[in-house]
Amino acid sequence: MASAANANMNAVRETMDVLLEISRLLNTGLDMESLSICVRLCEQGINPEALSSVIKELRKASDSLKTSENCTN
Amino acid sequence: MAHSTKFEKETERETKNLIRCITGIEDEDDQNYQMALKFCWSNFRFHRFLDVDSHKVQRSISGIYEKLMIHSDLSKAESWRRLTEEFLSSPLPNTDGTKTDVHHSILSLLLLLSGSPSNTNFTERPRVKEAEKEDNFDWAKYLMEGEDIDNGPYPDTPVLHIWALHICFSTIMLFLNVMIISVIVIPVGEPDARAWLEQHVVTPYWVAHAPRFPHSLHLHSNLLNVWDQHLYNSDPLYLPEEKAFVTETQVIRETLWLLSGVKKHFIFQHHDGKVSVRNNVVVTHLTSNCLRSVLEHIAVYGQAVFRLQRFIDEVTGYSSEPSPPGSSSSHSSKKGSEPPFRTYQAFVWALYKYFTSFKEELTTIEKELICKDETVTLSGVLERLSPHLAQIKELHKVFCTGVAEVPPETPNVVRASHLLNTLYKAIIEYDSVGEASEQAVALLFSLWTETVRPYLEIVDEWIVHGHLFDPAKEFIIQRNKDVPVNHRDFWYATYTLYSVSETVENDEKLNDAASGSSGGDQGSSNRQLTMVSFLKPVLKQIIMAGKSMQLLKNLDCKEAEQSERSSRDAERKSLYTLFLESVQSRLCRPEDSPSDTVSEQQATKRSLIKMQSIVAQHLQIDDVHDPLLAINFARLYLEQSDFHERFSGGDFIVDRSSQSVTCQTFELTLRSCLYPHIERRYIECCGNLMKTLKKDYKLLEYLQAMRNYFLLEAGDTMYDFYTAIFDKVLEKESWQQLSFLNVQLQEAVGQRYPEDSSRLSIFLETIDPARKKQPVNNLDVLTLSYKVPWPVDIVISSECQKIYNQVFLLLLQIKWAKYSLDTLRFNDLTEATKKLEGGVAEEVTVKETINQQIHRMCLLRVKLMHFVNSLHNYIMTRILHSTGLEFQHQVQEAKDLDQLIKIHYRYLSTIHDRCLLREKVSFVKEAIMKVLNLVLIFSDRWQAGFGAWKIESIDKMESDFKNCHMFLVTILNKAVCRGSFPHLESLALSLMAGFEQC
Repeated sequence: MASAANANMNAVRETMDVLLEISRLLNTGLDMESLSICVRLCEQGINPEALSSVIKELRKASDSLKTSENCTN
Repeated sequence: MAHSTKFEKETERETKNLIRCITGIEDEDDQNYQMALKFCWSNFRFHRFLDVDSHKVQRSISGIYEKLMIHSDLSKAESWRRLTEEFLSSPLPNTDGTKTDVHHSILSLLLLLSGSPSNTNFTERPRVKEAEKEDNFDWAKYLMEGEDIDNGPYPDTPVLHIWALHICFSTIMLFLNVMIISVIVIPVGEPDARAWLEQHVVTPYWVAHAPRFPHSLHLHSNLLNVWDQHLYNSDPLYLPEEKAFVTETQVIRETLWLLSGVKKHFIFQHHDGKVSVRNNVVVTHLTSNCLRSVLEHIAVYGQAVFRLQRFIDEVTGYSSEPSPPGSSSSHSSKKGSEPPFRTYQAFVWALYKYFTSFKEELTTIEKELICKDETVTLSGVLERLSPHLAQIKELHKVFCTGVAEVPPETPNVVRASHLLNTLYKAIIEYDSVGEASEQAVALLFSLWTETVRPYLEIVDEWIVHGHLFDPAKEFIIQRNKDVPVNHRDFWYATYTLYSVSETVENDEKLNDAASGSSGGDQGSSNRQLTMVSFLKPVLKQIIMAGKSMQLLKNLDCKEAEQSERSSRDAERKSLYTLFLESVQSRLCRPEDSPSDTVSEQQATKRSLIKMQSIVAQHLQIDDVHDPLLAINFARLYLEQSDFHERFSGGDFIVDRSSQSVTCQTFELTLRSCLYPHIERRYIECCGNLMKTLKKDYKLLEYLQAMRNYFLLEAGDTMYDFYTAIFDKVLEKESWQQLSFLNVQLQEAVGQRYPEDSSRLSIFLETIDPARKKQPVNNLDVLTLSYKVPWPVDIVISSECQKIYNQVFLLLLQIKWAKYSLDTLRFNDLTEATKKLEGGVAEEVTVKETINQQIHRMCLLRVKLMHFVNSLHNYIMTRILHSTGLEFQHQVQEAKDLDQLIKIHYRYLSTIHDRCLLREKVSFVKEAIMKVLNLVLIFSDRWQAGFGAWKIESIDKMESDFKNCHMFLVTILNKAVCRGSFPHLESLALSLMAGFEQC
């Protein structure tokens, strides 16, 4: 039982590696951590389009925040 | 339902992770973080996108493949196809099966995020090769990490470590000294030296990829590894992070440093005044979450300490590091040019004293830690510090509301009173909780007593030396510089009372004209909590005492008195000292009381017997023999005195240390320890001022002089003056000449009151011709003026003189009427008849009519005389005399100058009212004026002699007089019947008597 679970675990890990490669190929800018968060969210049924728009917006906002901070400094 | 909540919670957690991961904001309370979270939730819940269409995704995949082919990116196209296929046929962590919607949605997400494929072409090319490779993370090595023992933690020489240590923690000298001395003592070359160093020198855990320290292999010491292993096994998506390993001792030490105000740490990080815990710090025997929660708890206190410390540095002007220009607060930047803000300084001093004791405690713990005599654990240290931490929390709370939340550019007076009020309110709040918060009250009370010191010193300086010394403008009362002391406005316009409105947080100026006279009791409801609360009950006394003292200082007191005062001043205790002493004695007193309870009871019994005998004697005097009654009376008295003692003496029970006060006593403490001193000073100051004014400055004499001349109390003197005028009028000569009037006045006054003759003068005013029609109004041009010297002119102001003058004019008019009636001679009429007799004696009928007319004139004269005399009597005796007596009596009893001024004003308004000069009763005055006018016309005609008037004019005068008389009688009767003007009764009665006889 334990070995089956272990095998499954390895399979999943491989899946994630593959996914990371796809993500790199597409230049999505996601690292492993954010990618796994996205996978979990997709599994929980969050709409990918909504998710992608959120990620884009957040990136944009944090970029502008950083530039404004730099300017003030 | 439960499932859905759990599900939602998971989603929420992941969303938070996402935000943290993408934006890098760690602090969940951050405004941006909250906005991002809201944004995510609303997008996830309320979007307008369709569900994922697997065909569409497939089409996009093949589209990208085609595109890559077109771009002749063959290898990339190949790997793209292979990877996507592989992914679609692989399992997902929480989803069963392959090629599910979830697979497609993940792919679609990546596709959406990829943006334009042309970008991909350029940047991704070198990575394609790598993509084929397997992940090269060395899991085995990672998992073995906790297990292996690193036997070479010090590749460098120990001296270098010491240097690193020195650079990082230059402030922790104590620790360093121990280390350096130890290192020097042990020679490095010996074989034991290395082992010794390994035991005694701290690994540089603060550098990246620090070497690991040795630790036990026991399961308890490896809990973190076990937990990590479990996570790795149960969660395929778990990603091990880079970790910095520290020991618990290091954590304790950094905790102690943090709490003692050191700014540079490894475990704790400072960001713009916020203290946070470094993410990846772990100890081997705790999970990172557990450690994190404990450390975050500490970080909160660390932050509080840091803020308080920074405030202390700002106020004291000491800064350990050059702070960035933006963060320096307003009052630190102002420093240097501005006088010191003493209330904050006192507050900081109190904080500093507290921190000194707190740091002593921290140092003791650290010494124990260095000694290694006993096990010191983090939880043990926290337990030991918990009372201190609670106090720090309290201090921080007070600091936040009292200091930090005050917007910059707030005037000092608002800052100071806000801080004192915050402390005061906090004490009252905890005080009402009772025993439970004894510690907090003790701390806050000591803080308050320190902070209030500048205020009390300012008050002391003011009410003792009459000098309001407040360079930083922090006291609620401030001196207006532009009014000199020897100005007549001094009493009203010198001081401004600032009243801080709690709700709107801006200050309002209340001019002292109002505040000085009514002090604390101008209470519209929103100003209830305004000014510094603890001074409120005695504010009026303080203002009065301060102003009186300042005035007194500027009056030329007698030399002897001054020298006496200065010698006394050396021995004098300041208000603050007195206050502290009272508090001390009040707190110490209950300690000795329980021992004498028995003796006290005996004493009570004894005094009961004594009291009984006294009461019995008293009753015997009244011929009552009732022992029971006597005992009961005695008991009643005793109970009262007992109650009195309890109330004033502070009979609170619990024993406590010298600085601890609790249980509903704070206000009582103030009432018994602070207010009496101020009260005493107030009575002394104001008493002195009153004495000086009355004795050296002859205040009473001046008041008397005002009555003498304006209210004609010096009857003979003024008679000389006004009869001279009336005679002039009688002789139809012009009397409205300034020189004539002044000469008359000086002659009259100079004979009897030579000292006043230079002060008195008379002026002529031009009045509007509309009012001049009546002959009685001719007198309105006169203005009597009396030059009142300073400081008496504070009481007898020019406004007062105006009222005096109005009464004076009225009196003059009555006197004129009276005089002109009194001086009429019967001869004037009888001569006319004689003349007639001599001429045509035969016309009997004519003669009769003439006699009749003369008779009527005489009757009218008597009636008018009765009226004028009644009025004259009423005003001179019933009003001016009796009110004057009352006034003199009140003046004797006035306690302070303000009261005296009030009494004087009240007196003036009373006589003004009773002389019917008020606007409201002007119709009565009009009627009286009409009669007086009639009198003047009448006497004019009388003097013109018989024949100069016609019979009709007598008719007219009679009817006019009758009308006015009737009107007045009706009006006055009504007023008397209503009972609202009891003083009018005599006038009404005498007028009525005159009327009935008509």
